[in-house]
Amino acid sequence: MTDWNAMTDAEFRKEVRQFFEAEYPEELRHLPHRPKFAEIEHWHRKLHAKGWVAPAWPAEFGGMGLNAAKLLIFYEEQQRWGVNRGRDMGVQMVGPLIIKFGTQEQKDYWLPRILSCEDIWCQGYSEPGAGSDLANLRTRAEIDGDDFVINGQKIWTTMAHDATHIFMLVRTDPDAPKKQQGISFLLAPMDQPGVEVRTITTLSGETEFCEVFFDNARTPRENLVGELNKGWTMAKALLSFERIFIGSPSLAQNALGQLESFARGRGAFDDPVFRDRFAQAALDVEDHAALYARFADQLKRGETLGADVSMLKIWVTECFQRITELMIEAAGPDGGSIGPLQVGNVSVDVLASFYKARPTTIYGGSNEIQRNILSKAVLGLPG
Amino acid sequence: MTQTDILSSEQEDLRLLRESVRTLFERAGGSDRARQLRDAGGGFDPEMVRELAEAGVFGVAVPEDQGGLGMGLAAGGVIAEEVGRVIAPEPVVSTIGLSLGLLRRLCPDHPKMAQLIGGEISLAVAWQERGPDGAPADATCRYADGKLTGGKAWVVGAIGSHGFLVVAEQDDGPVLVLAEADAQGLVIDKRTQADGSSLGELSFSGTPAAELASSGAVLTALAEAVADATALAAAELVGLSERAFEITLDYIKTREQFDKPIGSFQVIQHRAVDLNVMCEVAQAGVREALAQMDSETDPKVRAPIASRAKARAVTAAKKITRDAIQLHGAVGYTDEFDIGLYLNRALVLSAWLGDDAYHRRIWFEAREAEGAAQ
Ligand SMILES: Cc1cc2nc3c(=O)[nH]c(=O)nc-3n(C[C@H](O)[C@H](O)[C@H](O)COP(=O)(O)OP(=O)(O)OC[C@H]3O[C@@H](n4cnc5c(N)ncnc54)[C@H](O)[C@@H]3O)c2cc1C
Repeated sequence: MTDWNAMTDAEFRKEVRQFFEAEYPEELRHLPHRPKFAEIEHWHRKLHAKGWVAPAWPAEFGGMGLNAAKLLIFYEEQQRWGVNRGRDMGVQMVGPLIIKFGTQEQKDYWLPRILSCEDIWCQGYSEPGAGSDLANLRTRAEIDGDDFVINGQKIWTTMAHDATHIFMLVRTDPDAPKKQQGISFLLAPMDQPGVEVRTITTLSGETEFCEVFFDNARTPRENLVGELNKGWTMAKALLSFERIFIGSPSLAQNALGQLESFARGRGAFDDPVFRDRFAQAALDVEDHAALYARFADQLKRGETLGADVSMLKIWVTECFQRITELMIEAAGPDGGSIGPLQVGNVSVDVLASFYKARPTTIYGGSNEIQRNILSKAVLGLPG
Repeated sequence: MTQTDILSSEQEDLRLLRESVRTLFERAGGSDRARQLRDAGGGFDPEMVRELAEAGVFGVAVPEDQGGLGMGLAAGGVIAEEVGRVIAPEPVVSTIGLSLGLLRRLCPDHPKMAQLIGGEISLAVAWQERGPDGAPADATCRYADGKLTGGKAWVVGAIGSHGFLVVAEQDDGPVLVLAEADAQGLVIDKRTQADGSSLGELSFSGTPAAELASSGAVLTALAEAVADATALAAAELVGLSERAFEITLDYIKTREQFDKPIGSFQVIQHRAVDLNVMCEVAQAGVREALAQMDSETDPKVRAPIASRAKARAVTAAKKITRDAIQLHGAVGYTDEFDIGLYLNRALVLSAWLGDDAYHRRIWFEAREAEGAAQ
């Protein structure tokens, strides 16, 4: 077993880069949409054979066992080469939870199936009445013999129409004194009569997320992860690394690269106003990267990140959105057209980038919620 | 030592430097001192200059074999940030960046070097000229037979300096000369700035001056020194912005309206967060830029890095000092509250050596030129 963490950063980066460049299928680079599993299965098999499906998991569970610094490098290289993350909710979200809070039986059963993608997971947290105020969720799970019986509705469930299982937060004690109490973390199969999935078409015309209805759906009691009514704190415990990942510069950097080649081809740089706005955006990206490096260094020194890391997400997502606005501006009369625009030998899908940028300020804790968090946890403002 | 050890011992040096400069300023009265000096007519305190020199401030970026500390611009940035925090009026950045920046590149053995590093004197650098329309224009100031004729504008630190390092033209090209402050035929007009400091407008009529260096090297060294000073001014703005934000944060935590602190209103909170994020991005960007300048020798590469730093710092300082006034309400509009001192200093530092729009242009043009060269 390779001890990746023993390598220097440069060696490790080289190794990862070489693998992606040699093995990642060209036609899947920088996919503009979220793929169904079938579309990326051939890549997933290579990754699985290499043992690289779960970079963050400890090696004993089939992961690469990377420390935070190496993990950051792994993701940087992944994004640099435009490698699709695949259907990674199992790896990113359920797996770590099972590893941390699950029983031995749960680990033995679920983890290998996550790695092989025999099970494909979706995340059932949000509900019509529980978005930013997630603790307001109402989907009920009641014990009935050896099963939980689930009733209620989830929404915005990404790729639920292409998932075999759902991990969810459900209410198991409606009488708990605080709404954060009485919530449990449950795994459930999707392929059963009590589960109905309806796709929702997004602004860009894709079917990326769904509504999921539960009408006396059942899941065995052993699919409860962690203690009953303790799901809220468990789900929160997982967020810490995700917060730097979601603020990484790559989305904005890629968009800036696209903007530049597109604008150049279109002659937009002849306009001094455009030049200044481009320079502004480019410097926004560059200085964000400097701040990101400061947080990454903290991780490399083995420190844990504080709540202030949220500022990365705020800055980079809003910057990403400004860049996509500039693409539309550079497109001029084509600014409302769907599909790739050919400019010289590059092809840029202006609106695809624009649409992709929209939800980045909504999901992962909306930017308003991030500001609420920063104002209290970092600035110490009252109320 | 491993790479990380070297890194952390460097960082330790910078931390100690920051602490000693901060303590020095705090003992001297912090930002109150800036107000007193402004009210006393807008100069600086020569005693403070000597104390700063004792702490090694002016020679920080001068190589050790030339009598400095050899700690580079990154350390200069640490000092500049501390100057910015207390809006100290002493010519710290202009000395580290401009006067010593020029001398150490052109005539490192000149006795004025040691005097500058020792805080015994200060020298102002005069290179820009004003055209008939009032805007910057090409240089026409002449040096011949040991005498200067013509004028120079926008000279920072002109009042209170012991002499001027003047970039002029002679028959066979550019020349750097030294004119004493009390030299014959030198008239200094001062234009008062928002923070109470002055910009000098110099006119020379047969003013005696001593030649220090000549040839193309003068302009190269000038460009380098200006790049250094530009990046250091960015660091000064970062420190200024941080302190202005802290003052504002304290204010919104204590000022009450509608029976609660105004900092409990969400719109105020979100604004405060935006200013904080702006500040952190500026600090990270400017510190990275200074470190990069230390590891780069090619002037063509260093100049746009300085522009990146100044563009960011001005953008941040503008936003932070303006919003700070708004968040203070009417007291923010008074001279009595310190926050206004920060706004006024930011106006001056933003205009000096180019504002954000100017430096974005320079940065972009350099990027284009580099792209075209490849
Ligand atoms: C593309 C996409 C994919 C998603 N995938 C999933 C998924 O797989 N699984 C899942 O469970 N969920 C998913 N979500 C849902 C996502 O987590 C929620 O959209 C998010 O939590 C916000 O909730 P909401 O949409 O109900 O908005 P709301 O909470 O109703 O917010 C609406 C607006 O009000 C603002 N707001 C709300 N509360 C406050 C406050 N206290 N202060 C200030 N402003 C406030 C918000 O910032 C926002 O601007 C996805 C969302 C998107 C867009």
